[in-house]
Amino acid sequence: MPPAAVKTTLLLLLPALLAVGAFLLLPLGFILFESVYLEGRGFTLYMYLSYLSDPKFHTIFLRTLKFGLIVTGVSAILCYPASYAISRTDQHRKSLLMSIVILPLMTSPVARTYAWMVILGRFGLINQTLKSAGLIAEPLRLLYTEGAVIVGLLQLFLPLMVLNLVSAMENISPELEEAAQSLGANRWVTFFRVVIPLSADGLVMGSVLVFTGSITAYVTPAILGGTKILTLATLLQQEAVVFMNWGGATVIAVVMTVLTILLYLGVRTLRPRIA
Amino acid sequence: MKKLMLIVLVLGLWCAGHLFASGAKEAPKTERAKSESQPAMQSYRGRTLSVSTWGFNMDLINKNITKPFEETYGVKIVYETGNNADRLTKLKARKDSPNVDVVHFAGNYIYLATKEGLLQPYDPDKIPSLKELYQWAKDPVGNRYGIGYAISTYAIAYRTDKVNPPITSWADLARPDLKGFVTLPDITTTFGPATVVLLAKAFGGSEENVEPAWQNLPQIAKNLVTVYRRSSELITLVQQGEVWVAPYTSFSWGNLLETKVPLKSVVPKEGTVGSQSMVAVVKGTKNADLAHLYINFILSHDVQKAQAMDLVDSPTNMTVKVPPEIGEKLAYGPEKLSNIIFLDEAKLAQVQESWVKRWQQIMAK
Repeated sequence: MPPAAVKTTLLLLLPALLAVGAFLLLPLGFILFESVYLEGRGFTLYMYLSYLSDPKFHTIFLRTLKFGLIVTGVSAILCYPASYAISRTDQHRKSLLMSIVILPLMTSPVARTYAWMVILGRFGLINQTLKSAGLIAEPLRLLYTEGAVIVGLLQLFLPLMVLNLVSAMENISPELEEAAQSLGANRWVTFFRVVIPLSADGLVMGSVLVFTGSITAYVTPAILGGTKILTLATLLQQEAVVFMNWGGATVIAVVMTVLTILLYLGVRTLRPRIA
Repeated sequence: MKKLMLIVLVLGLWCAGHLFASGAKEAPKTERAKSESQPAMQSYRGRTLSVSTWGFNMDLINKNITKPFEETYGVKIVYETGNNADRLTKLKARKDSPNVDVVHFAGNYIYLATKEGLLQPYDPDKIPSLKELYQWAKDPVGNRYGIGYAISTYAIAYRTDKVNPPITSWADLARPDLKGFVTLPDITTTFGPATVVLLAKAFGGSEENVEPAWQNLPQIAKNLVTVYRRSSELITLVQQGEVWVAPYTSFSWGNLLETKVPLKSVVPKEGTVGSQSMVAVVKGTKNADLAHLYINFILSHDVQKAQAMDLVDSPTNMTVKVPPEIGEKLAYGPEKLSNIIFLDEAKLAQVQESWVKRWQQIMAK
């Protein structure tokens, strides 16, 4: 690139770089600093050692990872057939289906989550239906359970998985499937040995987005899980504004950031091999 | 055609919005005109007072306090709401340039705030209503840091159609037949520490020896649906039938009854613990005069009576008299007041931090 072009590129990048630096990197740096610096003690890992050895933290950390894995796994299983169907319909229907898929992304997370409260409550839709069908005598406890949080997160992040899978599958030429079938593979074998490997890229990207989204979501676990089913995000809020334990809160923030970065790096190294 | 209709609609809405907005702007003018006829109040008009409070029963508080105060003095009140711990955190964060002038806290949080140097002593000369208060409400934490403006008591409410045998003791919260239908207020709420003391008493301990409470809390934690941090959350839980047994603060009884759920309130055999809701002047406020004006206002007979009649707060102003049917729902009258146990708030403030940690540990499981 000639020097003038480099200059133009830098100039064009500058506003975005400044914004990211001032509003993202700088605060992140502060958090990192706060987590390793104690007044009177200087730089120390004390806060990490004391907080990360807390059994309460272990319970919540593992629960958060569990939510992330379940939501990612279930959404992959649910979205694969749906995305395949969407990618194989005509253009007109495809855009209709896609707009239905992204509809949940366009409603406020708070309103959406309160809707789940109405559905899952003791007098909610599910309990009323089961009761009038004679399947249960007493309403079931659905709210304030791990199941409620997982269902809420699934609804929240399914669209991300579908979007990624559909765009990956659109790039698979239908002729490849025809070729596979002409060589004697039935529809199942074609799906598992042609479509899935070729769409793995979309699956990986979708999984990363769903997983990081699930482990960092705040509103859904806060409302559907209550104060007992804590996740890292709700624990962070609790430490910061309820218990005034800013040291603990910064440690959680750093743990969550590191987790996300590790995941991203892991995927980046894995991706070329799959593709 | 559709497009045209849309444009007309948008324009119409815009005009309507504009009309309302200008209407709202005009309102203070008439208020100003009124307060100008009262020369003594001239210095206050047009100013704004910022009050940090819980935010429960806000509709009634607006009717009984905000509106009459704003109309009398021409001062606008803005509220910052949240639970004790939330608001103490915010106060601490803005210690050097507070944006709140008056703060409402439970007793132990007044201590914590004092310890952090967040409050300033009130000036009794600027609060004439003070002499109408019960002696114990005038300066409950010492050094004139807080004034008790309301008493609330802590009792247990339960569903009469679901809970049998009835609740008689705090130990009942551990009963296996209640599994999944009990809630407790969080340790950071007004009566959070009282929960620990009362459970200790129920399981053979005392205010001095609270170990029995900690030994039995894990068992009770298994019975909990969730822990509530705001009374409004409790109302929702009860209304939705998620909760059958709930320790509650007396000021939410009116709202609990409105849920139309068959509820009974019981004073368990461990006794009634009471707490004073206190109000204090924030250190470094530029509106100390307004803060005193406000405190005097909420302590005055008329406001205290109005709050009592609406079951928002039980009065600490001795001159307030309410009819018996209201009085029985409040912490009111010599007999009830003499039975209330006030815990040692200063001591509770000291153990606050370690109790919060232990509580969190148990509840996270």
